[in-house]
Amino acid sequence: MSGLVKETSVPRTADSRAPEGGGFDAPAPMRRVPAKEVRQRRGDRITYAVLCVLVVLLMVPFIWMVSSSLKHDNQVFTVPIQWIPEEFVWSNYADIWERIPMLGYVQNSLYLAVIITCLQVLTGSLAAYGFAKVRFPGRDWLFLGYIATIAVPWQAYMVPQYIMMQRMELTNTFWSLILLQAFGAFGVFLMRQYYMTIPDELCEAARIDGLSEYGIWARVILPLSKPALATLALLTFVNTWNDYMGPFIYLTSNRLWTVQLGLRSFVGQFDAEFAMIMTGSVISVVPILIIFLIGQKHFIEGIATSGMKG
Amino acid sequence: MNTSSIEAGPLAAAAAEPAARPAAGGGRPAGNRRQARRNTLIGWSFILPNFLGFLAFTLIPVIAAFGLAFMHWNSFSTPRWVGLENFRTMFASETFWIALRNTVVYTIGHVPLTLALALGLALLVNRKLKGIGLFRVAIFFPYITSLVAVAVVWNMLFNPESGPINQFLMWIGISDPPGWTSSTTWAMPAVIITSVWRDMGYYMVLYLAGLQAIPRELYEAAEVDGASAWQRFWNVTLPGLRPTTFFVVVMLTVASFKVFDLIVVMTEGGPGRSTTVLSQLIYREGILQGEFGYSSAISLVLFLLVLGVTVVQFRIQQRRER
Amino acid sequence: MKRRILSTASVLAVGALALTSCAGAAGTADDGGAEGRTPLTVSVWNYEGTPEFAALFDAYEAANPDIDIQPVDILADNYAEKVTTMLAGGDDTDVLTMKNVIDYSRFANRGQLEDISDVVADLPGDELAGLDAFELDGAYYAAPYRQDFWLLYYNKDLFDAAGVDYPEDMTWEEYEQVAEKIAAETDADGTYQHVWRSLVHSTAAAQSGGDLIGGDYGFLKDRYETALNLQDAGASLAWSTATSQQTGYGSMFETEKAAMVPMGTWYIAALLKAQNDGVADFDWGLAAMPQLESGGEVTTFGSPTSFAVNGNAAHSQEAREFIAWAAGEEGAAAIAEIGVVPALRTDAITEAYFGIDGMPGDDGSAAAFSPDVSALEMPVSELSSDVDQILTEEHQLIMSGEKSVDAGIADMEKRVKNEVLD
Repeated sequence: MSGLVKETSVPRTADSRAPEGGGFDAPAPMRRVPAKEVRQRRGDRITYAVLCVLVVLLMVPFIWMVSSSLKHDNQVFTVPIQWIPEEFVWSNYADIWERIPMLGYVQNSLYLAVIITCLQVLTGSLAAYGFAKVRFPGRDWLFLGYIATIAVPWQAYMVPQYIMMQRMELTNTFWSLILLQAFGAFGVFLMRQYYMTIPDELCEAARIDGLSEYGIWARVILPLSKPALATLALLTFVNTWNDYMGPFIYLTSNRLWTVQLGLRSFVGQFDAEFAMIMTGSVISVVPILIIFLIGQKHFIEGIATSGMKG
Repeated sequence: MNTSSIEAGPLAAAAAEPAARPAAGGGRPAGNRRQARRNTLIGWSFILPNFLGFLAFTLIPVIAAFGLAFMHWNSFSTPRWVGLENFRTMFASETFWIALRNTVVYTIGHVPLTLALALGLALLVNRKLKGIGLFRVAIFFPYITSLVAVAVVWNMLFNPESGPINQFLMWIGISDPPGWTSSTTWAMPAVIITSVWRDMGYYMVLYLAGLQAIPRELYEAAEVDGASAWQRFWNVTLPGLRPTTFFVVVMLTVASFKVFDLIVVMTEGGPGRSTTVLSQLIYREGILQGEFGYSSAISLVLFLLVLGVTVVQFRIQQRRER
Repeated sequence: MKRRILSTASVLAVGALALTSCAGAAGTADDGGAEGRTPLTVSVWNYEGTPEFAALFDAYEAANPDIDIQPVDILADNYAEKVTTMLAGGDDTDVLTMKNVIDYSRFANRGQLEDISDVVADLPGDELAGLDAFELDGAYYAAPYRQDFWLLYYNKDLFDAAGVDYPEDMTWEEYEQVAEKIAAETDADGTYQHVWRSLVHSTAAAQSGGDLIGGDYGFLKDRYETALNLQDAGASLAWSTATSQQTGYGSMFETEKAAMVPMGTWYIAALLKAQNDGVADFDWGLAAMPQLESGGEVTTFGSPTSFAVNGNAAHSQEAREFIAWAAGEEGAAAIAEIGVVPALRTDAITEAYFGIDGMPGDDGSAAAFSPDVSALEMPVSELSSDVDQILTEEHQLIMSGEKSVDAGIADMEKRVKNEVLD
């Protein structure tokens, strides 16, 4: 069944990859016939219709979030749900910056997310090259060890981890979180799987050209794996940005708190200010949106634009 | 299969697909010892920066946690060796078996649905259309929407009397629609539906990256051969996505076995114990009750279970390759 | 091109590192050592949102200029989990605030708290509500400074609209009838029974003398019938809906969706604030919790909050002195002023409490504030948290209609006996 793939599995240049390949109606090649164009246009229209319905289904909880952020606390959890606030409390969006040091929290979150993402992408893609493109004894067992730890729930080892950090006097600093989250197995696994799809012939050719392994990684493999790098960066950023338990356990001083911790400070012993929490949640989605919109371009353009010489 | 399957064991060999390709640096015949040593050094130099952090901050604590499974430790006293006592307690506990069953049921429901939808969505938005970026964001939105909002809105949709889902079911003639989150039978399906809805965008992003790796000329060749859209999908897209699918399946299975947040917010494991899962037990017994030995024993069982399932996935993958 | 992106990324990373250099950007740096004063660290939840802590600490520092109290601020959600983790790492915070009696049982039974029986011996035990509850095998490991208890909040406007007399000395039957009448006469529900187990369980245990960790739960039956009757009659919001929609009791009362809400005294402060902010606008009053019989003693239940000394405390002696002060007269006065119910109950303190602006002035409300007996929400024992888990699970099944009351109670008895008491 995969004969087709094997047959054509010749060295290929980056430019030959389809940006939009893979759909049910894969893109038409050069020689277009009018009938086909008509079919494609109809296909597009159907796609749009399906997507619009989907978007509505997907956005409903977010709409509730926005609506709740414009209410008074005691109107958030009403039965039945009130979609349009009786009175629009726009002041929530002004107040939140004063009620809690929101700007500082955003800064802390950004700081953590950026550093962790950079380290994860850098060390992850390096290690993945070792696992995917260099063969040495014990490599695959080591890799298996990596994947295996993903299977252990964090709740199980968070106390041993904490004790270790405490001994190293790193609790209540950003270092604890950076060290814990920047070297995960996730990035290594993701990048390795992507590198597997890059033909070894490319590396071989580069080797003959006299490039060192590091040179191959930097000049051949990295440019070809932009979509995967973008994906890894996006997902790591989102997960770090939205993490609650990690910062909660490790960061005690208010100065160090992240957005997710700051928002929880509206939860009291017996009740919570949910309008404020939702206001903050809406605000905290904005950076992710920006990152996503920047990053998603690489899902399409990544390979097509990165030319490879030789 | 190539030689790597012999030296590496079944797991990694299957992962090392497409298998037919020779790995770099290993292109020359093995037996060249200097080359081998050089490769080892080079390989480790790539892996080391990540490995040091991983070893110190993940691997060692994980091993320590597993050691605790054979001890009694309340986080304050000195740990005391108790052998298999924690495991005996666990196997005698009804709640453990219920949580185990729930975890398995959740995984069986969650993995295939999420996988299929994530792939479908990725294919749907993997094209150049005006504003497609916005649609992609929209599909990713459930993953970044506050969990509280997700729980409240879905519980409203699932409300047995006034919820739109049951109103629809009654409208199409089902006179006795399910009680969803307030029923012990239907709470788990409700949680699965919600979590599939939430996670599919996340895995779609992974598939989008994978789709970029499929060469365009494969589609062209298929088209010249007169392959239909379905045949192109089946013979070009799916095989090309295999490394991605493998990654997604493993990550998804692991994440399903470890599910925690969504269940805590949506049902707190209830009603009764109908949606209580293993991670909740681990959390509750360990960090709340202070029975860290017992909690570690449960984690060890969960770990072995996930590892077992992953090995099976590798095997299936391997067979497909042939 | 890729290299450019990479180098940009590393420059960014280094820049970010330099910019904040692990200092944290939110707020000012902690004040280091206050000259010559002994630092006393106290773990608290939600320092900004829980004014009682600042009130206590400021007053204590004013009275003891040589002490510098440094709050260790922890979020209210998952407070116990974080304290457990900190202690496992050998943390030496001096005073640990115990959020509820179940947490207290856990920490005390694990041997993480110092025995402070000598401090407790000097406290005015008779006036300190809920003190007995803290005894574990003859010793005390914490002393309560705050004790909230349950009473009935009611909306006078809705009672007037339905033509029903204000509640006073009600029995449970009367409570049901009043709720159904109001539901029939107005748009609002008669009452709102919040989803917590304690509303059914702790009331029943307090009023009929049942033991919640004893393994026999027949005494719960009547209160379950009350709760189920109310929701069947449409006089209160269905439990399933309330749970799944995370309905807030504050919302139900403040938006006049329910005419009565049985709730703890902690809600008074929030209600006053809602009225001040203009988001709740109606007349309200307080009444005692409904009772088994009218005219007898008024029995309710409460949840004390307490201070304990960490077994690893850096300043154990100072911690003890602080606890003795907080549980005593001065500590009580400091928190009563800001609308928090202290554990120490004296006439002077109650008077101060009702002097707060916006409190209902009627005699009934003041009387409701002095129940004869205020039992404990859950007995303190090493079994408390395990039993709590089982009772909560079975409670969900009864309230969602998955099990009949009798079957649910039978399962509680069976499970508690098999899984905990054995």
